[in-house]
Amino acid sequence: MFSDPAVAPFSLSLKDLPWWIDWDNSKCTLCGKCTAVCPVHAIELGVFRRRKVQTPLNFSAQPSQETSLYYGIRQKTDPASACIGCAMCSMVCPNDAIIPRRSDEADKLRYHVDQGGSPRNRGGRRNVSESLLDRIKFIRISMLTDPALDAGRHEFELKTLLGRVLPPEENFRRMKEREWIPPIREIYPLIIGSMSFGALSPNMWEGLQLGVAYLNEELKMPVRICTGEGGCPPRLLRSRFLKYVILQIASGYFGWDEIIHAIPHMKEDPCAVEIKYGQGAKPGDGGLLMWYKVNKLISAIRGVPMGVSLPSPPTHQTKYSIEESVAKMIQSMSMAWGFRVPVYPKISGTSTAAAVLNNLSRNPYASGLSIDGEDGGTGAAYNVSMNHMGHPIASNLRDCYLNLVKIGRQNEIPLFAGGGIGKNGNLAANAAALIMLGASGVQIGKYIMQAAAGCVGSESDRCNICNIGRCPKGITSQDPRLYRRLDVDLVARRVVDVYLSFDTELKKIVAPLGRSTTLPIGMSDALGINDPAVAERLDIKYVV
Amino acid sequence: MDNNEEYFVISGKINGKRIESRILEEKLQKAVESGHRRIKVNAFGQHGIGGRLWRAGGEPVEIVVEGHSGQRVGSMGFPNTVIELTGPASDDVGWLNSGAEIVIHGHASNGVANAMAQGKIYVSGNIGSRGMTMTKRNPRFDPPELWVLGSVGDYFGEFMAGGVAVICGVAPQDRDDILGYRPFVGMVGGSVFFRGPYKGFSRADSKIVDITDSDWNWLTSNLEIFTRKIGKPELLETLSDRSEWRLIKALTPLERGGKTNRAMSDFRKAVWEKDLGTGGLIGDLVDFDRGLIPVITTGDLRRYKPVWENRKYDPPCAATCPTGIPVHRRWRLIREGKVDEAVALALEYTPFPASVCGYLCPNLCMQSCTRESAMLPAVDVTLLGKESIKAGIPEIPKPLGGRVAVIGGGPAGVSTAWQLRIMGHEAVIYDMAETLGGKLASAIPEDRIPPEVLSAELERVKAVIPNVGLEKRLSREDVEKLKSEFDYVVLATGAQKPRVLDFPGKERMITSLDFLRRAKKGNIKPGERMVIIGAGNVGCDVAAAGKRLGAESLLLIDVQEPASFGKERKHAEDAGAEFRWPCFTREITEQGVVLSTGELIPADMVVIAIGDAPDLDFLPDSVATDAGYVLVDENFRTSDEKVFAVGDMVRPGLLTDSIGSGRGAAQTVHKLLAGGAECNGERDMIDRNRVKTEYFDPRLAAFDDIQDAASQCASCGDCRDCGICIEICPRSAISRTPLSGEPYEYVVHEDRCIGCGFCVGACPCGVWNLIENFGLM
Repeated sequence: MFSDPAVAPFSLSLKDLPWWIDWDNSKCTLCGKCTAVCPVHAIELGVFRRRKVQTPLNFSAQPSQETSLYYGIRQKTDPASACIGCAMCSMVCPNDAIIPRRSDEADKLRYHVDQGGSPRNRGGRRNVSESLLDRIKFIRISMLTDPALDAGRHEFELKTLLGRVLPPEENFRRMKEREWIPPIREIYPLIIGSMSFGALSPNMWEGLQLGVAYLNEELKMPVRICTGEGGCPPRLLRSRFLKYVILQIASGYFGWDEIIHAIPHMKEDPCAVEIKYGQGAKPGDGGLLMWYKVNKLISAIRGVPMGVSLPSPPTHQTKYSIEESVAKMIQSMSMAWGFRVPVYPKISGTSTAAAVLNNLSRNPYASGLSIDGEDGGTGAAYNVSMNHMGHPIASNLRDCYLNLVKIGRQNEIPLFAGGGIGKNGNLAANAAALIMLGASGVQIGKYIMQAAAGCVGSESDRCNICNIGRCPKGITSQDPRLYRRLDVDLVARRVVDVYLSFDTELKKIVAPLGRSTTLPIGMSDALGINDPAVAERLDIKYVV
Repeated sequence: MDNNEEYFVISGKINGKRIESRILEEKLQKAVESGHRRIKVNAFGQHGIGGRLWRAGGEPVEIVVEGHSGQRVGSMGFPNTVIELTGPASDDVGWLNSGAEIVIHGHASNGVANAMAQGKIYVSGNIGSRGMTMTKRNPRFDPPELWVLGSVGDYFGEFMAGGVAVICGVAPQDRDDILGYRPFVGMVGGSVFFRGPYKGFSRADSKIVDITDSDWNWLTSNLEIFTRKIGKPELLETLSDRSEWRLIKALTPLERGGKTNRAMSDFRKAVWEKDLGTGGLIGDLVDFDRGLIPVITTGDLRRYKPVWENRKYDPPCAATCPTGIPVHRRWRLIREGKVDEAVALALEYTPFPASVCGYLCPNLCMQSCTRESAMLPAVDVTLLGKESIKAGIPEIPKPLGGRVAVIGGGPAGVSTAWQLRIMGHEAVIYDMAETLGGKLASAIPEDRIPPEVLSAELERVKAVIPNVGLEKRLSREDVEKLKSEFDYVVLATGAQKPRVLDFPGKERMITSLDFLRRAKKGNIKPGERMVIIGAGNVGCDVAAAGKRLGAESLLLIDVQEPASFGKERKHAEDAGAEFRWPCFTREITEQGVVLSTGELIPADMVVIAIGDAPDLDFLPDSVATDAGYVLVDENFRTSDEKVFAVGDMVRPGLLTDSIGSGRGAAQTVHKLLAGGAECNGERDMIDRNRVKTEYFDPRLAAFDDIQDAASQCASCGDCRDCGICIEICPRSAISRTPLSGEPYEYVVHEDRCIGCGFCVGACPCGVWNLIENFGLM
């Protein structure tokens, strides 16, 4: 009579888990680092028996047996402690005695991650590694038909415009009559997209900001970064570095009273204001900063009490249609800075994007539209939202751009695209593809986390625990014991590295097209793909 | 130009019509082949004049170009060739020049000397963009040279990989910049002398170096040649001021070494924090260090820390024993060699450690033993129980003054009185039987417990509880009286009323209680064939007793699958008892039991064993009942606050349940009388998974003796002082500290511990635990 049943429905074996800990007894020194570092306690010291049976040949003596003990690393199998594959154990192992390996078939854990009736919630990215953008080729190599350019030696002006661009005659008229002209920023086309102070650790956030400041002030690259919805540190609001920052406002309005209080003291206007309506990774879903992340610091920046969970609703309250919402929000945000700051909405990729865009094109204060495709990353979302909801960015952006072309306004209202750019490391190629499909610029999130801070997450469900505050690299944790693993200066330096190398790669792509002083926005004759259906859908060339 | 010589003249026009470059080339080559060594070309824009003249077989060839020279004059020129242009030159003069000397008495347009490898080009004016680009120096030959009297156009020296260029800055096109826009991008070799103002050059590729004396000697001697070649020797003096000259050379690969951007830490301190303030972005909001820490940390920076939770939880054996005996502590005492203490310890919990633990109890402690979860035999507590017969009389403390009447001298009542006595109270037992012990003494067959064991334990009970009133049947009034005479009254009369069924012939059967009592006294004859209605454990006892008294066939019938189990069931089966179900009795006749199916089961004796119920007739009205049992709260107190009830009166159960309830009631009464703390606080049971059963021999099937059994106890939640944690700790962070009251404790040195949890993983007893370290939060 034993109270614990031997096997429960959710009893799993190692075979059922997505990651297996491969531990080598002959190399292990039992130093304890792997179990100390494991963010989810997937491994522990185990006591093991070893038994030897000795039977001499020819039955020359009685058989004997001996049982002995040894200690080693044991992988836990309960769903709550399943290995996430982050491989921090390998990183700290002095003898290369341990590494997580991918299991050899579809795991069974996925059927048991809803204990207590809560569907799986995770951070990270969609578990789909394929990327349409990766398949797009740049097929127009101008060589001698246009001036041939050398990416390494020629000078390039790869900037883009954020803001409403008036038709030239209208612009001249207004200049002449000293009328209001919509604010425009000339910025670098690769923007660090919205990741909040809270979703990211203080060291990560500052590292990104510091890197952006360096790019602007030391290297003269007008790179911009969006705050995400979590407020903005008061010091930054009152510094000259604010001009490199796009302030985001979203449905939770966190930190906005602090921003309002800071307006009279601002030395510089922010680059722009982004109104978030949706996020590619979890369309139609809001955000939630769990209470254990809301420490004293977060509470100060967001203007909320400590230790409470902070939900951002899926929608902005008091706004019942996109028309009303856009009109109201853009007016309010423009007014805050005397109509000197561009204001644009960000939506998740959706089949209704063109309707939003149509509306914006008729709104004289709308400065652009940002669309976040299905491949965007997130700090926390339901698995089902992340894996199955949203719209691929390529056709969504393309439809919007071609819509603008149809009404002759493609040069007037810039489109920004995000979601999965560089998901397989091909940052410049993906960005260039979107630009040539019609984007004025692109926004990145996951890529910069991986490149600048060493995020180990992947599209094959590695790590992806951004939501539980235990990020092993200290990127998405508010726990100083974790985020102090991240060196602010090194993050900043990596941001600089990423931009410099991106810049070179982007030149390598646009130089053969003969472009050096303007970004090839919408230059879709340079694009081809080896899939006729995609080619037709995107109105680019079919090449084999 | 020396006009005294005679030139072979080739015209670029025939009959006023320009000839193709191909034709001019044919004429020129043919002229050289036929021996002409001085040739004048009246050019009309033809391409590539003067190159490729190897047909002279190495003899010097002089070409004078008049008129409009076309593109690429002297391209692929040979070392034997000297070309002189009387006027300006078009693009790409000396393209891929492999040795020719080319003199231009005017300006030259774009691409001068592009890809030149050998030879010299002298330009008596300015040149256009992309001059001296992609030039090389082949180690087999002298380096190529380009001499420019004036200035050079944009992008000069791109990808220059060798050769020497000299830019004299005389009458330049741009007075402020003789080097043009972005010169020397991609330059990897060669050197460039220049004289005059400039606006910049690619410092990523080149640098200004000092002009050495040998450089200067080379420059001055060759300037003399240059000025002479272009027919302006008078300029030599102007050009001979060393201080006006600069020399540029390509950076070596080692000198390049990547861009030297400002260090980030410097930027942060000098720029970032200068504007934001010390501590950067959030320096005003945090008062702790945000600096880098290693991944493996100690002290407050650990995410988790170990804690020594010795005896925080009860082991499963103690937690599941209704009597609450700390079995594991007894085993530990035995391991420590303190057998007497181990034996005596039981008496703090039960007056019947030998009878119950050793013989009669189904031993819930063993059923719950952690070892069972690992397919190891549970530590055999019956060995320890039997050993308990040796336990002497416990010490009775000085009287505290409390007086309690206990009605009923069975296990529950005796347990109550026993506990009250050893806590220092006076307890008086009243029982209607002749002896103490209730059913324990009167109804349990002797083959299940040796009589001497039970009588020895009853003797011990009598020694502890002197006041026992036997053969006293109490009425309701008596109970009321006791209530007024004593502080509290504890009811423990058990279940004495056998349940019977109302069917014809019921008078022919005998109740199990009756049968067992008489059997124990030996004054009943069961007959050959015995049928027992009710196949529970009591029915099994009846069967076993019946066999002992001579019955030959034993049949237990039940309306459902029999609920009997354990030792009782085994005894009955060993006696040859058969079990049948479902069987519904219709009547009992002389022949035996008639079932509802009409079947007759022949029987000489029929015993009904379907349970006993409490006799509640004597209860005062103030004591509430429910469904035939006395209603009590969790402290065994009845609705009458002076009255407690324990044992089978409250709910039917095992002997250990009765003993446990007696102990529980006594503790409550003691608390009420003495105001003392509870003797044993309730503790949670340890999670069995914390205990490591791997330390034990999986092949061990039985225990030799109590020493053997004690060695196999996992000591769940109770440190066995093995010291494994000290040894397994990779950081030597654990030490054992002797204490004054307690014998010892294990201590973690926080400044060494990394929170790996190895102590937790290795601890055989599950004492160590790893908890979140909130040191910094």
